[in-house]
Amino acid sequence: MNSGIDLQGTFITSLTDLGLPPGLAKVFWMPLPMLLMIIGATVAILVSVWLERKISAAAQQRVGPEYVGPQGSLQPAMDGLKLIFKEDIIPGNADSILFTLGPILVILPVFISFLIVPFGQNLLISDVTIGVFLWIALASIQPIGLLMSGYASNNKYSLLGGLRAAAQSISYEIPLALAVLAVVLMSNSLSTIDIVQQQSGYGILGWNVWRQPVGFVIFWIAALAECERLPFDLPEAEEELVAGYQTEYSGMKFALFYMASYVNLVLSALLVVVLYLGGWESPIPVGFLADLLGVSETNSAVQVITASLGILMTMFKTYLFVFLAILLRWTTPRVRIDQLLNLGWKFLLPVALANLLITAALKLAFPFAFGG
Amino acid sequence: MMKFLKQVGDYAKETVQAAKYIGQGLSVTFDHMSRRPVTVQYPYEKLIPSERYRGRIHFEFDKCIACEVCVRVCPINLPVVDWEMNKSVKKKQLKSYSIDFGVCIFCGNCVEYCPTNCLSMTEEYELATFDRHELNYDNVALGRLPYKVTNDPMVTPLREFAYLPKGTLDPHDLPKGSQRPGRRPEEIAEELKAAAAKKEAANADAAE
Amino acid sequence: MNLAEGVQLVSFIILAVAMIGAALGVVLSPSVVYAAFLLGAVFISISGLYLLLNASFVAAAQILIYVGAVNVLILFAIMLVNKREDFQPVKFAWVRKAVTGGVCAGLFLLLGTTIITTPWAFSTETPIGDDAIYLIGEHFFSDFLLPFELASVLLLMALIGAIVLARRDFLPDAALTSDIENLKLPERPRELVSAAKTEQ
Repeated sequence: MNSGIDLQGTFITSLTDLGLPPGLAKVFWMPLPMLLMIIGATVAILVSVWLERKISAAAQQRVGPEYVGPQGSLQPAMDGLKLIFKEDIIPGNADSILFTLGPILVILPVFISFLIVPFGQNLLISDVTIGVFLWIALASIQPIGLLMSGYASNNKYSLLGGLRAAAQSISYEIPLALAVLAVVLMSNSLSTIDIVQQQSGYGILGWNVWRQPVGFVIFWIAALAECERLPFDLPEAEEELVAGYQTEYSGMKFALFYMASYVNLVLSALLVVVLYLGGWESPIPVGFLADLLGVSETNSAVQVITASLGILMTMFKTYLFVFLAILLRWTTPRVRIDQLLNLGWKFLLPVALANLLITAALKLAFPFAFGG
Repeated sequence: MMKFLKQVGDYAKETVQAAKYIGQGLSVTFDHMSRRPVTVQYPYEKLIPSERYRGRIHFEFDKCIACEVCVRVCPINLPVVDWEMNKSVKKKQLKSYSIDFGVCIFCGNCVEYCPTNCLSMTEEYELATFDRHELNYDNVALGRLPYKVTNDPMVTPLREFAYLPKGTLDPHDLPKGSQRPGRRPEEIAEELKAAAAKKEAANADAAE
Repeated sequence: MNLAEGVQLVSFIILAVAMIGAALGVVLSPSVVYAAFLLGAVFISISGLYLLLNASFVAAAQILIYVGAVNVLILFAIMLVNKREDFQPVKFAWVRKAVTGGVCAGLFLLLGTTIITTPWAFSTETPIGDDAIYLIGEHFFSDFLLPFELASVLLLMALIGAIVLARRDFLPDAALTSDIENLKLPERPRELVSAAKTEQ
């Protein structure tokens, strides 16, 4: 298997050629992908906020933002700027330490989770072997931050919102993890790279959606619930709880919550793509096309094109899912808290368990198709 | 065992049905995205209010006879009529008149019942103020002429939905001279006049 | 000492200090909520120590189970109970504290001397690191099969117990009717302001 471009290797060798020790060269390399990923995630927030507003407007036959930048594309950046300049208010009788710590605890795990998101064979920060498991573990820290900010706000709506968010988070984590487990069972590895690799080779036909349709639906529903997107946005249901745990927040702390929710959406969409839609693979395998044109796969131009196509494909599929989430937002009404918990515990959990068992049985019966 | 299987089957059926309905809903939302926006860019574009629009009330001081019918028909007795008996002419003389538009519900009863037609509805609706007491209009404020959207050089007037040509949804960039469906009041009046003339002619013929 | 070892040492010191500080905070903090949040900090620093020991799977599992489940449940329990009670100051409270402190110090000394005096056999094998998942799985289904199955039976029992408690129709009626007052959540008795005034 050709490994594609190895940016890290070339960077380190070029620095060691300059006379630096390899350890130091690696230290110089390390912040680069992290910085790139943080910038990428921030841009992804801006893009998804803009998309959210524009698509929402289109779904309601409005125009949406249109004055700041072409087609209002700078509106999210302006929103961010406004939030930076806003006064940071800590309400009286609120617990100021926990009040500040809450939003940080909410946003940190989401950004750390970008560690495992691959955009290509070597285009990820770190190929951790525990891969998706790390994401699930980090996502479980979030409810603590929500509870913390809900408690520290000294506001009943905030507390109720925080409790709802935590309850929702822990009940949907289980079907989510079980759906991921079925995929992991097929690819024999928790690493995101291996999961994508196991889907490669047959183009669109090899993707996990065809082998895990039930798991795919469960994962998407659970991911929406984890992101607190409508129909599962009851932690911040305006009509009942003002804005849930965000009620007392303003300025940059509110911006942290806002960013966390959108990064989480993009991250969930990315993981749907990685787990079920073949990650950076294009519907028609690039190797097949290269063979058709009679170009060698090790050709450097082909490799560059493959890498950029991989990033493009990942982003395209991801934003397809962001689009679907926005469409769902304007289609489905919000569920009640009892309906939410019923759906999570009485429907998704048994179905996810059955899906896992069936996947295991199919893997034993047809090791060729289900990853032996 | 069969009962359990039936339960599972029913549950699966319900699930499929729910998925179908969500799919239908999604397709409706998706369909809406392909429709053109009908946004009126408010401060720059404004809709022309219809003929019977019930906006701010206009009041003509000199026509008023201080009969207080407006107060009696008002659901909350809102208009304040201050008058004094003028002994020399044996008439009520109006000193001041005011309506608080922060409380008024614009039902138009006062306009309907005013015996001298000194009250009338305007098409003015932009009544926002920084203090609600500024909405308490006295007879001077009530007597100000309403502005017209069509006369404002800053504003592009747009026609309301019912005044657009048949089949049109977007009030922007209408072709010149386009009319709403149906006959206009002038046309109806003309027709009636023609019919009356015809009838009269026929009557005259019959008389001869 | 090269760069990697230095980083390792510094992170170990930071994690150890954070862990001990947070643990002391859990014990000494007067506020239950702070104690619960600090417990989460302890768990996270423990998982950091696991990471330093090359056990990434155990570290992630630590976060998932202890922070994501146990600590959230503790917080839930604290926040759902709305009983606020001022405790009576107890005479000679310092005696209890001193005794507790003495016992803790004694335990610490005992464990410390045992750890120092025991001749530990250092393994010269390189740590498995990332392949630990496979090894853990193999152990679960071979020599640790019985404890593993017992743990799952225990969890199943807890699950069924929770279902029985949640669905009251399994409980006998007699158990429900008695002491119903004690089962209620403690709340302030509500009176209308005017009604309370006329009584006085």
